[in-house]
Amino acid sequence: MLLFGLDLDYVAAIVLFCVGLYMLVAKSNLLKKLLGLNVMETAVFAFIVTAGMIEGGDPPIMVQGTSAPFASPIPHAMVLTGIVVAVSVTAVALALIVQIHAHYGTIEVDELKELP
Amino acid sequence: MRPWSLLLVALVALPLIVGVAGLPRHDAPDAPIHTHVGTRYLERGVAETGFKNMVTAVLLNYRGFDTFVEVVVIFTALAAVLALPRGETADPDHAPGQRAPADDATGAPEPGDDAVATAAVPATSGPRDGSDAGRAHEVVPVSPVVLFVVRILAPFLSMFALAMLFRGHITPGGGFQAAAVFGAVFIALGLVFGLGRVARLMPTGLQPWLQAAGPLAFVFVAWFGWRLTGFFLGFPIDDHTTQEGMGFVLEVAIGVGGGVILARLFLSMEA
Amino acid sequence: MTGPWVEALPWVVALPLAGAALTPAVAARRPRLAGVWAWGVLLLATGLAAGLVYELAVRGPFAYDLGGWARPYGIELQFDHFSAWVLPLLALFVVIVPFSWRYLEHAMPRQRWPAFYALLLLNAGGMVGFCVTGDLFNLFVFTEVVSLSSYALVAVSGRGLAAYAALKYLFIGAVSSLLMLFATAQLFVLTGSLNMADVSVRLGELGPGLPVMVAFAALAVSFMVKSALFPVHVWLPDAHAIAPSPVSAVLSGMVVKVGIIGMLRVYQIYYGAGTLDLGPFNQVLVWLGAISIVMGAFFAIFQDDIKLMLAYSTISNIGYIVLGLGLASPYAVIGASVHVFNHALIKATLFLAAGAIIHQTGFRTMTDLRGVARRMPHTAAAMAVGAVSIVGLPPTAGFVCKWFIALGAFEAGQAPFGFALVFGALFIFVYYIRMVNAFYFQQPVHAAVAEAREVPWSMRAPIVLLATLCLLMGILGGIPLSFVEPAVLELLPAWGP
Repeated sequence: MLLFGLDLDYVAAIVLFCVGLYMLVAKSNLLKKLLGLNVMETAVFAFIVTAGMIEGGDPPIMVQGTSAPFASPIPHAMVLTGIVVAVSVTAVALALIVQIHAHYGTIEVDELKELP
Repeated sequence: MRPWSLLLVALVALPLIVGVAGLPRHDAPDAPIHTHVGTRYLERGVAETGFKNMVTAVLLNYRGFDTFVEVVVIFTALAAVLALPRGETADPDHAPGQRAPADDATGAPEPGDDAVATAAVPATSGPRDGSDAGRAHEVVPVSPVVLFVVRILAPFLSMFALAMLFRGHITPGGGFQAAAVFGAVFIALGLVFGLGRVARLMPTGLQPWLQAAGPLAFVFVAWFGWRLTGFFLGFPIDDHTTQEGMGFVLEVAIGVGGGVILARLFLSMEA
Repeated sequence: MTGPWVEALPWVVALPLAGAALTPAVAARRPRLAGVWAWGVLLLATGLAAGLVYELAVRGPFAYDLGGWARPYGIELQFDHFSAWVLPLLALFVVIVPFSWRYLEHAMPRQRWPAFYALLLLNAGGMVGFCVTGDLFNLFVFTEVVSLSSYALVAVSGRGLAAYAALKYLFIGAVSSLLMLFATAQLFVLTGSLNMADVSVRLGELGPGLPVMVAFAALAVSFMVKSALFPVHVWLPDAHAIAPSPVSAVLSGMVVKVGIIGMLRVYQIYYGAGTLDLGPFNQVLVWLGAISIVMGAFFAIFQDDIKLMLAYSTISNIGYIVLGLGLASPYAVIGASVHVFNHALIKATLFLAAGAIIHQTGFRTMTDLRGVARRMPHTAAAMAVGAVSIVGLPPTAGFVCKWFIALGAFEAGQAPFGFALVFGALFIFVYYIRMVNAFYFQQPVHAAVAEAREVPWSMRAPIVLLATLCLLMGILGGIPLSFVEPAVLELLPAWGP
């Protein structure tokens, strides 16, 4: 979709990225920050997948129901890899948050800063 | 709303929007995405790789090395979580809220230094081989509706995962999707029935090998392809049977390895 | 014609990664085996890397098409003079791992050793992959391998503070990785390709434009975060100071250089395309580098904790490297590229020696460690050698690179920055003199320091070896400089062939 010459799908992905960035930066709960990071990651994936779409296209699977034009398969592969990477980062972050909680009893940045 | 954060976000948003403003429209058939590398994959993919699902063809064949590094990434997450202390941070003489002196390792004990606690505790409260079976786990009470639904759905979900795994080269699906569903089933069962019961599903002796299945299978297939075609991770172009076989091995390894890793990640998330 | 060693290129990456996957399985019943296994894998990988560098020296840069798919239809690996960094990188790991064998006995329970060594192998393999790949998306995935293993390695010592430092590192690092992914996606949308060389050519055909600039900016910011350049350096001091000392050596010496190598790759793409005038950007780098030099050194002076001091020193030295890159003249870029290696050598020496001292005495601050040189002469001597090297006095490793960067400043017509370099060196001189003074010329205040014994030889040998290399590289410093020269000349547009 075009609006004032801007591709709205791309802009939507950027807006989502910025929402996630705000969550990461402004929230004081570590879990919420992590969720903000996840939103940012999802935004980038949305950008990538949208870029691979084509007008009137079918999924890039060569079976009987589908015909040219096909959406490009490379963005799909990129995003699949990206999702696995995002899951890995989330897992490590969660383990660290668990460790912080076990040690300090809190996961609020404001309280963590108060500690000596 | 925090003003400085909003300012930062606005400062970041501006160049990004400018950055996408000038990009070629994504739908257009003459965009570089649709006219360069992608077209070769779409036009000659089936003939060259023997797969009907072009995404699988890209993942396993054309850009298989990326997928190799990807399974390494998820293994890294598991290694990371396993390397972190679990259950050892409960330091008896050090209440939560008190910060220990910043120190990494000491040979000489000092009062209040919780390096002593970590060094003095040679094992976690679990079995010595680091597996998760047999640890004391909490069980959170769950509604009988949830119990029933999860119980009924679990076998169907597992079958669906298997179907995605085995048909990933001709329909949407593949190793990672299967691994995700396997992992989800494991997590749902674990949440509902308690980690203790579900941890016993993991074969402790095989665990270290299963979790390494992804990277190891890739190296094996890469070596196999090297002997066959002279290229690392090379698939023989005219031999569709071998290609399917190699692809199958990779998919199963990704599915099983990924599922085991996700399950272990879930089990390790306890403090 | 290419020699047989070209075939080793994918294996030098796959070997440490597969070795890492096998570590928990191999060491399941006998955790001690993990350390030896990791060392063996790294030794083998170093051998392969040596073969690759030999091939490079004899027949020039080469590439490898994975799966047999020609560029740009598959993933391509490349080995040029900047990739040759993998040889000293792996060799440094080979020296650092034996130090960890003993060190780990007090740092963490035996059960976690296999996971720790797996993380080290993943870190090494990831960095090797990063340096030899010719594909942008592949670069991203390797960055994640390196980053994830680094986050975990910081937190491994078990304190809550370590986990918090690691988490801050993770958040900043993950955002920078996302910027890299976004830029890769932009370049893909613009050119339809993910191969670095191909993208470079197509960018040249496309001509200048805002998306091209934004992609460059995103990549540059991402790599500058990874290399802890001012003002995005804040994650580094806590993370490097709180990690176990062998990990600090790896992080400060090698992981932080990933951003530099990445920047070099970005330069290769954009200088190759020739469509963007990178002058203003380079000037920004020069300023940020100079600020990093002075600021890092300044903060280091005020640290009592020796590991924090070394961490700030890393920020300062990264400033030197970035200054060299930004000056964009042959002397400067050659000096910067070789300082990647020399700084790694010196920092590894310093961190291992500091780790040994902390291990034996239990103290981390200079006030507590007064007089330690009497009881730990070898370790303290290594620390002194490292100190002299990092100040940049001849004939040590640090001298030649800083001299080259200073020459580069004059060559590029930016003499004031050459003086900033000297100024920074003076600051550094001050804090290392403080340290040497405390260790050698003052009386011990703690019983633990007065009665400390030297570290066992499995820990001492790496330290002594590294210190000797610091001196040796001062004398043999010309060799890496002339080795890197062809790649740098090819890179820089104005001075190149």
